[in-house]
Amino acid sequence: MLNKPIPVPAPGTEMNWHLAPPFSARHLLVLMLVLALLVLTGHRTEMDRMLVMSGEAVGNLIGISDDSQVVRGLSRIGQSMWPPVIGESEEVARISELDRDNLPLFSRIEVQERTEQRMNLETLTLEAHSESIEVLVKPAGYVWTVFVKMIETLEIALWGTIIAVLLSAPLAYFAARNYSPNRASYTAARAFISLLRSVPELIVALILVLAYGFGPIAGVLALGLHAAGFLGKFYAEDIENADHKPQEALEAIGAGKLKTLWYGVVPQVLPQYIAYTAYILDRNLRMATVIGLVGAGGIGQELKGRFDMFQYGHVMTILIAIFIFVFVLDQLSARIRAKLI
Amino acid sequence: MIRFESIQKVWPDGTRALSDISLEIPKGQFCIILGPSGAGKSTLLRAVNGLMKPTSGKVLIDQTVFGKTTQRRLRQRIAMIHQHFNLTSRLSVAANVLCGLLPVVSTLRALSGWFKPEQRSKACSMLERVGLSPAHLRRRAGDLSGGQQQRVGIARAFMLDPEVVLADEPVASLDPKISRDILMLIRDAAKERGTTVLCSLHQIDLAREFGDRIIGMRDGCIVFDGTPEQFTDQRVQDLYHGATWEDTPLEAETPSAAFELAHA
Repeated sequence: MLNKPIPVPAPGTEMNWHLAPPFSARHLLVLMLVLALLVLTGHRTEMDRMLVMSGEAVGNLIGISDDSQVVRGLSRIGQSMWPPVIGESEEVARISELDRDNLPLFSRIEVQERTEQRMNLETLTLEAHSESIEVLVKPAGYVWTVFVKMIETLEIALWGTIIAVLLSAPLAYFAARNYSPNRASYTAARAFISLLRSVPELIVALILVLAYGFGPIAGVLALGLHAAGFLGKFYAEDIENADHKPQEALEAIGAGKLKTLWYGVVPQVLPQYIAYTAYILDRNLRMATVIGLVGAGGIGQELKGRFDMFQYGHVMTILIAIFIFVFVLDQLSARIRAKLI
Repeated sequence: MIRFESIQKVWPDGTRALSDISLEIPKGQFCIILGPSGAGKSTLLRAVNGLMKPTSGKVLIDQTVFGKTTQRRLRQRIAMIHQHFNLTSRLSVAANVLCGLLPVVSTLRALSGWFKPEQRSKACSMLERVGLSPAHLRRRAGDLSGGQQQRVGIARAFMLDPEVVLADEPVASLDPKISRDILMLIRDAAKERGTTVLCSLHQIDLAREFGDRIIGMRDGCIVFDGTPEQFTDQRVQDLYHGATWEDTPLEAETPSAAFELAHA
């Protein structure tokens, strides 16, 4: 009863299938339009001038052209940045409560001759005055200062991430279409997430510095708020896309929404959550070095201060420190991620 | 006891999944629903625990009408066994079985995972009853074989000693030997407790072996309702091939080249 054949078209039946080629004249037209648009915007963003100047610079370096604005500018900064500042010295007279028998580690007191040209008011001539002053010399003092600032930067990044996770977890519950109590709460949560995501950290920090004053509070909150938007969106979308089968099983016995979420969804999305959070920590570490530029604490604030005082040697030390810091953290996070996933 | 009173279901796109079904399943009966895919077997099962809201008609469980206000209380008495097991695959076997208690444990206990000792020992004894070993307790549910996963699903379903068990094609993705074992487990566990079972199946031989009663469904209607003895081969043919198979002539009357090759 079951052995009848599956219908197959008889031989010689005419087929009216048609498979069009992948490109047509319309595609070519679109391509031309896109190219024209690229040329226009390229000109507006001075991409042509960039090419000429970079070419000049390369020519100057290999000895073809004799002058290049780019090379001049870079070499001037380079010269004033080198060597990076390592030590620090301070006049003893300016340090209050210096215990001479118990100096800070690795530091020593030196006597330096200082010669100044002063105007003698009676003879109206310049006379050289020399005096000997005592200075406290710390051979690696500035490196230590930068190191301490770096730790502060790390702490800002860490707390920014903690605040982001704490804020985004409840936000994700309301922003997940299948768990939000009603349509209004869903829309409100989504709108709030978009708002958080749309404002860059640097701008949030700029405003928060006005509210909380200079220092790490503004930095932590700026990083936390922006990342909460990011995490909220991704957490919520993972909840929406989670496998529906376990949730249905728990719904069928009347487990309730929160318990269903905890037992049916969270275990599924947890590995992905850890990956997102690790990415946010990574991103916050890099951003934390930058937001100090607007006074929100950390190494950036030190960098901005030195830059404004034209102390390019100090700037160089900071830049090297940031490079080492980011490099080491990259290696570390890559290893941790390999272990976790 | 489950009573369906003229249940109708029309999907939003206009297809009629169930048309005017009235049915009564007495307490403790092992009732098997057979029928081709799309006949409305799953839809009928889901009407019992409210996963599907009927367009009209009502379901009564022991005189209580299933509705918005009674849903939460009734669902605790109705367990479900699923075709794809529907376990949380990244959770341990033990946690999956304890999930069966979620409707009755407090939120704090559920979120912290700190179940009472007697609840934990109940989970262990249920797992032993379905034939798993203590070594399985801490394994991830997703790492088990299909048959073992369904055993976990059965243990979860019987955690609250339900009055009704709905089994939606519980053995559809398992091999014939394991399918028999699984159905035997469901039947025996149900008989011990006097549980009513409503089970949809695709295997006619298993239906005849395990069912106290067989219900045949086709296009949203009940076309057979009787004992396994009454469910003859002729009835099987009517149910599965009925009119459409015989009445639809095959387009290629002369055997095609491909067909000749295949049967050469």
